[in-house]
Amino acid sequence: MHNIFINLYKYRELIAALTWKNIVIRYKQAYLGILWAVLKPIMLMLVFTLVKSFVGIETGGLPYPLITFAALIPWVFFQESVSEGVNSVTSNASLIKKIYFPREVFPLTAMVTKLVELLISFAILAGMMIYYQVMPTVQAVWIPAFVLYTMIVALTISFFGAAMNVYYRDIGQAIPIALSLLMYGSPVIYPLSLVQKKLVIEQAAGAWSNDLYFLYTLNPLVGIIDGFQSALIRATQPDFDVIYPGLILILTILPFSYWFFKRAENWFADVI
Amino acid sequence: MAIIEVNHLTKEYQLGHLTSLKETALNTLRRLAFQPVHERELFKALDDVNFHIDEGEVVGIIGHNGAGKSTLLKHLANISKPTKGEVIVRGSVAPLIEVGAGVNPELTGRENIYLNGAILGIPKKIIQRKLDEIIDFSELEQFIDTPVKRYSSGMTVKLGFSIATTMDADVLIVDEVLAVGDLAFQRKCFDRMEELIKRQGKTVLLVSHNIRQIQRICNRVILLDHGKVNMDDDPQMVCNAYYEQSDKKINANASKSQTVFEGSGELELIEIYFKNHDGQKVDSISYSGDCSLHFKIHSLRELEDVTFGFGFHTTDFLYLTTHNSEEQLNINLLPIGNHEICCDIKNLPLLPGIYSLRFGITAGQTARTVLYGENLKHFQIVGDIPITIREGFFALDAMWTQQTSKQAPVTSTSKA
Repeated sequence: MHNIFINLYKYRELIAALTWKNIVIRYKQAYLGILWAVLKPIMLMLVFTLVKSFVGIETGGLPYPLITFAALIPWVFFQESVSEGVNSVTSNASLIKKIYFPREVFPLTAMVTKLVELLISFAILAGMMIYYQVMPTVQAVWIPAFVLYTMIVALTISFFGAAMNVYYRDIGQAIPIALSLLMYGSPVIYPLSLVQKKLVIEQAAGAWSNDLYFLYTLNPLVGIIDGFQSALIRATQPDFDVIYPGLILILTILPFSYWFFKRAENWFADVI
Repeated sequence: MAIIEVNHLTKEYQLGHLTSLKETALNTLRRLAFQPVHERELFKALDDVNFHIDEGEVVGIIGHNGAGKSTLLKHLANISKPTKGEVIVRGSVAPLIEVGAGVNPELTGRENIYLNGAILGIPKKIIQRKLDEIIDFSELEQFIDTPVKRYSSGMTVKLGFSIATTMDADVLIVDEVLAVGDLAFQRKCFDRMEELIKRQGKTVLLVSHNIRQIQRICNRVILLDHGKVNMDDDPQMVCNAYYEQSDKKINANASKSQTVFEGSGELELIEIYFKNHDGQKVDSISYSGDCSLHFKIHSLRELEDVTFGFGFHTTDFLYLTTHNSEEQLNINLLPIGNHEICCDIKNLPLLPGIYSLRFGITAGQTARTVLYGENLKHFQIVGDIPITIREGFFALDAMWTQQTSKQAPVTSTSKA
């Protein structure tokens, strides 16, 4: 497992070069350039804000666009990292057939590429916070930890998905669908407090309420998104009870996912 | 200790596609559990390959298409994993398997140098230091800031080769890269390879269909045939054996389809044969001996001013000789019917080996081609050659002497 970190260091120049290539190629002939990268969360935020004006979602007195954008930042980063990561091996078939380096470089590169775009999103969030006059507090120090956690979640899925996708291209097709479903299972459009109110306080699902809530928190994105909002907007300590189930689940799966990838890697060049 | 060790290397591929859904599902379960799937037919791309390569050796790998050359290189470069056996490489490997594999069309030449450098594992510092040298070698100064998608294919491979040979590795693995660019650039690539090999003493593995290049550059050649090591020896021996093998294949193909002829239909070629100096029909001729070459033809129409010509060539169509009948045999009118013409050859200077023959007939004032064919007859030259001749196609009638000079006597070790 610690091989990841050794390789990450050893192949840092390669990852940097491939990341730079990904970014340059994607935006080279586009007039708006890298702005396209942040257009997605902005558009989603605008749509959600519009929807919110019809349905009415409780936000605890905070401006809804800000709360949603703070949720969209980790969500879009996660979603894009996973869909890029899962396709990263198959889309580099020519390299895989011609040259050897540890194949985890591909999912890692996909993620680092998205990290660059994430930084730009943060700049926009900063602008919005100034506009709404919400100042970050000392709680913002949690953000790097949450970004790292998001990366680990994305990698866990990417490793398994990318390896499977080499053998079965169905995975590449299924991932976008699964991810868009997962978005509704994560507190992106609605705040977590709404779920807590329904399931924990009102026990809306009867005897199943607590189990359902636990199942909900197994989704690591729940803890991440809520943590982002807490640390940046609400200026409160992240709610660790929401984080633990997902974190433990992911840390359990990650070694298996990586092991699976490394096992499958041996046949990539033959099968791809 | 050998720098490369290949022990009992076997690689199997599965042939064809899965058919039924049930089979697919079952195999999916097996594969998920990393159990072997037996349903499909297996193809042995490499079959129990064994060899060791020492540091500084330059080894050529030759063989027919599908003999397993590229598969072998992929294993040495760690791209594929063996089904059975092991591959040990002690040192860093620069795989030039298809130069320019990592060249991205959207990026400029300069950007590609950095990207490919990173892909090949060349540290950025070294690339920066050698940037000018790479650009200079690639002959692309003018276009280096233009996206590669606007390059010609030749320019792209030139760029790829220039980057790849910058890599400082112990073992170079080269797959058909010397056939890059125009003649002048090929020459440059060849020199660069020779420099890497001779001056820097690198271990090189080379796959090529250009046997002459292999023969020149390598000091050992491995001949693969259907995934097995057929021969592993001195280049001269192995290349000759390969030529013979190819020859058989060419002959087999030729007998299946008619030999390609260019002919006007006025004349038919019936037979070509050699006679030795005793007047016996033979297929192999002795080196430096006398022989005669006979052509039996059947003309369907009267032909005027007929000239014959034949030539020897190697099985890879390197023309070695030509000999026309002009001024030796004047036929003003060739009547309808069978004819036999003959050409006497004295002291045949071709070195032992397999050669082939081309033959043509022209007629009329304008010397139009009535018949022309290449590879018409294969023949073998046999015999022992003197110790003074080792390689080449011809024996030279030559003699070494030492000029004795009164002013400065040269010490000779051979004679006192």
